[in-house]
Amino acid sequence: MGGILMILTDISLMLQKGRANEVKKLVQEALDEGIDHNKILNDGLLGGMNVIGRKFKANEIFVPEVLIAARAMNSGMEILKPVLTNKGVKPIGKAMICTVKGDLHDIGKNLVKMMFEGKGIEVIDLGVDIDGDQVIEGIKEHNPDILCLSALLTTTMFSQKEIIEALIEVDIRKEVAIMIGGAPVTKEYAVQIGADSYRPDAASAAEWAADYLKEKYNV
Amino acid sequence: MFKSLEYYKPNIDETVKWYQKMYHDALNHKKGHVSFRALPPSDVDYYEKMDLTIYSFPRDNKKYAEDLCRFLEKSFRLRKEVDDNFIPVITINLGIGDYSAFVNGDIVFQKDTSWSKPSLENLTDYKKFNELGTQMWYQNFLAITEEILKISAPSGIPFSRGFFSPLDLAYALRGDKIFYDFYDHPEELKEFLDYCAEATIKFANDIYQLAKKYLGNSKYGMFYLENIINMSEDTACLISGEQYQEFSAPYTQKVIDHFGLGHMHTHSRSLYLVKEISSLRNVVNLWLPTDPNAPKPIEHAASLAEDANGVHLAIDCESFAQIEENFQDLKKGNYSVTLPVKDIDEAIKFAKKFKEL
Repeated sequence: MGGILMILTDISLMLQKGRANEVKKLVQEALDEGIDHNKILNDGLLGGMNVIGRKFKANEIFVPEVLIAARAMNSGMEILKPVLTNKGVKPIGKAMICTVKGDLHDIGKNLVKMMFEGKGIEVIDLGVDIDGDQVIEGIKEHNPDILCLSALLTTTMFSQKEIIEALIEVDIRKEVAIMIGGAPVTKEYAVQIGADSYRPDAASAAEWAADYLKEKYNV
Repeated sequence: MFKSLEYYKPNIDETVKWYQKMYHDALNHKKGHVSFRALPPSDVDYYEKMDLTIYSFPRDNKKYAEDLCRFLEKSFRLRKEVDDNFIPVITINLGIGDYSAFVNGDIVFQKDTSWSKPSLENLTDYKKFNELGTQMWYQNFLAITEEILKISAPSGIPFSRGFFSPLDLAYALRGDKIFYDFYDHPEELKEFLDYCAEATIKFANDIYQLAKKYLGNSKYGMFYLENIINMSEDTACLISGEQYQEFSAPYTQKVIDHFGLGHMHTHSRSLYLVKEISSLRNVVNLWLPTDPNAPKPIEHAASLAEDANGVHLAIDCESFAQIEENFQDLKKGNYSVTLPVKDIDEAIKFAKKFKEL
């Protein structure tokens, strides 16, 4: 039991330090020792990312640390994913994310994506400079639970509103929960344009998404 | 097109003297200077009115210069009765793409801004860039500058240009991959940051030389250029103070040391950086705009004054009442406070009211 706990703690700690190779090795070692795949995922990898999320939110760590931690998680997931697929373990839900039309900034979007993945959520990334038609096409193709719209500029946050209006027009607005984010965006603006959620940082966004999905699927 | 500087700023001598004294005191960590800037819509509406997508550069350099100068002349003229700390200044607005395209890459123009896409797939690929100074946007920026100076210089109005700090420039060229470089290739990254510092020095020198050719004989035309470099530290908002000291401060300092004094810019999102940036040698000014959803500098005036240790902080506020409420704290440092106002009449009113504080 102590050995299991130690290896899972090591996975979490190495992930927090961004040590991708070590995480990969430890995940393999954990599997070889017969540790349950769910424990490796939840207590090791996602546990480590939860710590990263909390520290990021508290300004104890910054963007570079989050990026290398997420990279380390992905390297562990490379080993674990085939096992999870074989065992029928599914993500807790699916989100689709993009930076809206007219805006090429993707650091915020990427951070949210990483934090979502750190909560066990599958993320479809549409990229940057995305308009309503592309979002509609994406929803039809991927059927996400949550749609995240990112904007960094005061001039592009209006594209968030346009996308929501486009979804209403083709009658698919109710198929997704919509979260908006980005430096100029506020809670009031989210209410004004009919979004379901606004969160001020990537970690809080992932917390909201995980809670929403747990409630939606009653897990 | 422009009248003389004194037409737009009747008390220019007094205002410049105030700044000179304040910068001198800032260098010596002497505090207590507080000034006011009103921001009527006409000061900035040309950013919205100028559609950057209608120009085909370099063919339209001259048209762009004329349009820009027309907008600037109007904004200076409208506020000439406003007795605040504003000094008319000619600045080029091509969005932000030009801030890195002078090194490599092209600019993607949108109506009111521009971008340049990261062009460094591998960190060391910058060694394959064309020789500095030969890039299209390096030369074209100088050509646009010259067209503008031909129009504005006879008036003696100062010219100014801001630059990315070496880290901001490196980020624009490399993109998010730069944050992995902090860990994967720190030494190569430092070489690249040094290259970015050298590039900034060369580009700024060339712009300053050009400005000097047109404004060298004017009384205040070089006010924002002589011995001064104006740089942003935006990427620094995404990193820790320790990372700033390792990956930004030495290279920013190198550029400041070349020119003399540093006028810096960062955001209220990262107030912890005020101490880091203000501790660089010969920084005298830090423009610290308030970000949405972030702490408001005016509400932290006392602690920021301590962090800045005399460096002049250019901040903003939402109401005149905020200035009144925090005035004693503002006096603990050196501050300029910008207040957005609805029109010129209100700008005149608040400028007068500030003098009575």
